[in-house]
Amino acid sequence: MVWLTGGALAICTFMVFGLLFLVLMRGLSTFWPLPVEQVTTSDGRVFMGEVTRDDDYQPTDNVIAALTGEMRQAADVELASGDGWAHRRLFRTGNYRITQNHFSWVNDWEVDQLEQPEWAMVLERLEWGRFYGFPEAFVKMTLVDRNGMTEEAFRNELRRQANLPAPEGAAMRLVARGTGSVPFELVDPSDAATASSLVGFAEVHEGAEAAWHGFREYHAEVRERREDRRQLEKHDTGRINHRQEQARLKVREIELEIAEAEAKGQDSKVTKLEAERAHAQKEFEEVRVWADREFARIRSEIDAINEENSRYQMLFRTAGEGHREPALTFQRLDDIVRAYPANRLALGEKLALFGSRWKEFLTEEPREANSEGGVFPAIFGTVAMTLIMSIAVVPFGVLAALYLREYAKGGPLTSAVRIAVNNLAGVPSIVFGVFGLGFFCYVVGANIDELLFAAELPNPTFGKGGLLWASLTLALLTLPVVIVATEEAVSAVPNSMREGSYACGASKWQTIKRIVLPRALPGIITGMILAIARGAGEVAPLMLVGAVKLAPELPIDGLFPYIHPERSFMHLGFHIYDVGFQSQNSEAAKPMVYTTTLLLIGIIATLNLATIWLRNRLRRKFAGGQF
Amino acid sequence: MLRSLKTPVTFALFVAVLAILAFPVTAQVEVDERLPEYKPVQGVSGTVKSVGSDTLNNLMTLWAEKFKEVYPNVQVEIEGKGSSTAPPALIEGASNFGPMSRPMKDAEADEFEKAFGYKPVAVQTAIDMVAVYVHKDNPIAQSGLTLPQVDAIFSSTRKGGYASDINNWGQAGLDGSWGNLPISIYGRNSASGTYGFFKKKALFKGDYKNSVKEQPGSSSVVQGVASDKGGIGYSGIGYKTADVGTVPLAKKQGGEFVPADFDRAADYPLARFLLVYVNKKPGEDLDPLRKEFIKLIFSQQGQEVVVKDGYIPVSYEIAKQTLAAVGVDIDADY
Repeated sequence: MVWLTGGALAICTFMVFGLLFLVLMRGLSTFWPLPVEQVTTSDGRVFMGEVTRDDDYQPTDNVIAALTGEMRQAADVELASGDGWAHRRLFRTGNYRITQNHFSWVNDWEVDQLEQPEWAMVLERLEWGRFYGFPEAFVKMTLVDRNGMTEEAFRNELRRQANLPAPEGAAMRLVARGTGSVPFELVDPSDAATASSLVGFAEVHEGAEAAWHGFREYHAEVRERREDRRQLEKHDTGRINHRQEQARLKVREIELEIAEAEAKGQDSKVTKLEAERAHAQKEFEEVRVWADREFARIRSEIDAINEENSRYQMLFRTAGEGHREPALTFQRLDDIVRAYPANRLALGEKLALFGSRWKEFLTEEPREANSEGGVFPAIFGTVAMTLIMSIAVVPFGVLAALYLREYAKGGPLTSAVRIAVNNLAGVPSIVFGVFGLGFFCYVVGANIDELLFAAELPNPTFGKGGLLWASLTLALLTLPVVIVATEEAVSAVPNSMREGSYACGASKWQTIKRIVLPRALPGIITGMILAIARGAGEVAPLMLVGAVKLAPELPIDGLFPYIHPERSFMHLGFHIYDVGFQSQNSEAAKPMVYTTTLLLIGIIATLNLATIWLRNRLRRKFAGGQF
Repeated sequence: MLRSLKTPVTFALFVAVLAILAFPVTAQVEVDERLPEYKPVQGVSGTVKSVGSDTLNNLMTLWAEKFKEVYPNVQVEIEGKGSSTAPPALIEGASNFGPMSRPMKDAEADEFEKAFGYKPVAVQTAIDMVAVYVHKDNPIAQSGLTLPQVDAIFSSTRKGGYASDINNWGQAGLDGSWGNLPISIYGRNSASGTYGFFKKKALFKGDYKNSVKEQPGSSSVVQGVASDKGGIGYSGIGYKTADVGTVPLAKKQGGEFVPADFDRAADYPLARFLLVYVNKKPGEDLDPLRKEFIKLIFSQQGQEVVVKDGYIPVSYEIAKQTLAAVGVDIDADY
């Protein structure tokens, strides 16, 4: 028997730790910078990127038969030594804009040369995913204001500025406006006469070292301006928009009142309301003019930042993707989230990079349809939902359990209720989701909308999925856990204690409050821990009552009334499902799934630890108060 | 390169290279140059609420991200659980865009008409090729299948007229170690527009086999096939990864096998438009929010996003025609 029980425990432990270990390893390694490898195949194709995976497989005869020359020999040698098995590697080659491909498999027998070029750089960009290439030059353009100068005078002025002593190592070029979709062209100052429509000049720092130096010098500054731009886009416009919407709603509210009064035939009220409406309408118009002016101002500020930021660019040469020739391409510093020469990094720099990626993951909003960027809105949504759920379910569950245990007389009815509660725990969670959608959103929410938010209809406010409805649905789902745990805890309080309390003259409620509840509290909190663990990990019902793929607006922000429980929200569990099974670039998204899973487990563990800490504190506090 | 640029000859070369590469000639797929650039207008606010197709889910999200860049005050909510969820949401007013990867069925359009008195407008936003995916090592990706063969693999009814059921790769024309490998079929759930499209075009309106493993998303079909040596499945071309191959398809026995390449979209038998339905009352203009969103879709920036998500951008002519249906003149209104 010892062996049987011990064995069962060992298997359990092995499975739990195995799972945790897998998630931990995969999750933590996602953000670690890998070296960039460049492979040249014996038929002259070139791939450069990070090796993300490799596998052994048995190539079929027709694959081998199609090979020729050197490759055939290499393949035969490999297959002979490997007993029919061959090895291949998956390169993350990026450069999707050029190749329409994020990843490429390369067989070992194809490889002619494998190296880690010193200056191979990895670019994480705001759009189009990763870029791999060699830095060629750093370009800092300055556009000069014509200021009413004649063409001749402007040219002279440009040439004068372009001939000013350049910073060390840099070459000065004139910049001309390009034709078609070419934004700018660089022109040698001595050729200025031939170039048309000059607009400014540029410092060109050539060479990998100089380009990398230029990047490090200016990237932080460009990033800061981008942050300013985001602030403008989010907070300032949000504020203006809110004011405008409030003014519009006010007009609409009065209009609704007028309609109501007209229906009832209250003419005097109608006239009074008409005056109010005219006033509100005027105010709305004023706000709209003000808002348009503000938006235009913000727009021009954003444009100024964009122009300033697009002055800083880097020229890259790609390694040549597959059969393609190496290509030169400009990358704006503004589009680059992070860039590093992967093969030159020291351990300290790698650690810094690792940290900075985690920071982005935890604090930023998602980008590129959730496949990149951070998960902050999802973290916020998960924690907020779990907390609201606990606040709703614990008092409710505890009261219900107290009635069942302390007040209700035992009988068939009580047993039936108890059985029903226990059965509720066995109902599939999706059923709760359907109930939440049908009851909370479509019945309760729709009625709230009609009573309080009539002005916003037909756009539903509470009549759709949202944070509050999701929390309440999960509260229902976890209710049985709390009731059962509380009942057990309350029934574990010895009857002698209750009788002692009665003997001292205490009433029933006094006894419950002073004697039963304090002793049962740790048990009740254990129920809460179980409820949190169950609720935070639940996804299926949430998909019906408010969790969505993208909702960067948080349910709490700086706009009145500050808390917006009606908003849709993002949830880590749903995010895992979305990134894992819905993303276009599923190969690149896979590691993100593990990382997000790790994060979700971490958050649930933190919430549980906080509750356990609370329980221990309460235990200590009440331990002294007992007999 | 540092020193070489100092000489005028190579510098001219350098400039030439810059001029060429400053615009994306290197890309295989290009956005029609005649499509207009998007320019922001004033007075756009509200919520972009999109409910519908899973194939278009990422595309809608990417467009919405672009839209939010231009109009930061706009709020965005995107749901994509399948094309069948689009019409009810449009009818209830729970969404203002209904992305669908198949045209609305008559019943759905009638339901809409019953509620509003007119039919919804379909906007043709991008072109997709429904690819038949197999494991990356499967040699069928080099040869190809005919549609009747595809029908015999996926369908129990074989309305395509293929003589016998195909249950292993040998019956589909492979030999060697592949010959005895049973085919394992992946597909989408019935709420999906891709499910409906494939049923109509590749199954000749027949029924799927019971052995199809129905997946909740396009990406899960591709991932399923990627990890199953004998696997076959279908999904939009945008979901292709390095772990799967696409099968060239021929319309009928003896026809040409057309690979699912971007430049062959015109001949590919399973090409389709990705649609976004909107509720537009005939004779009335769209509100600024929806009008500008649709204008963004057909701008250079919007169609770039199509390329980024792995689909094929529409031409100027298609854009002009479909924009006219929602009351936007492509030449005058940008």
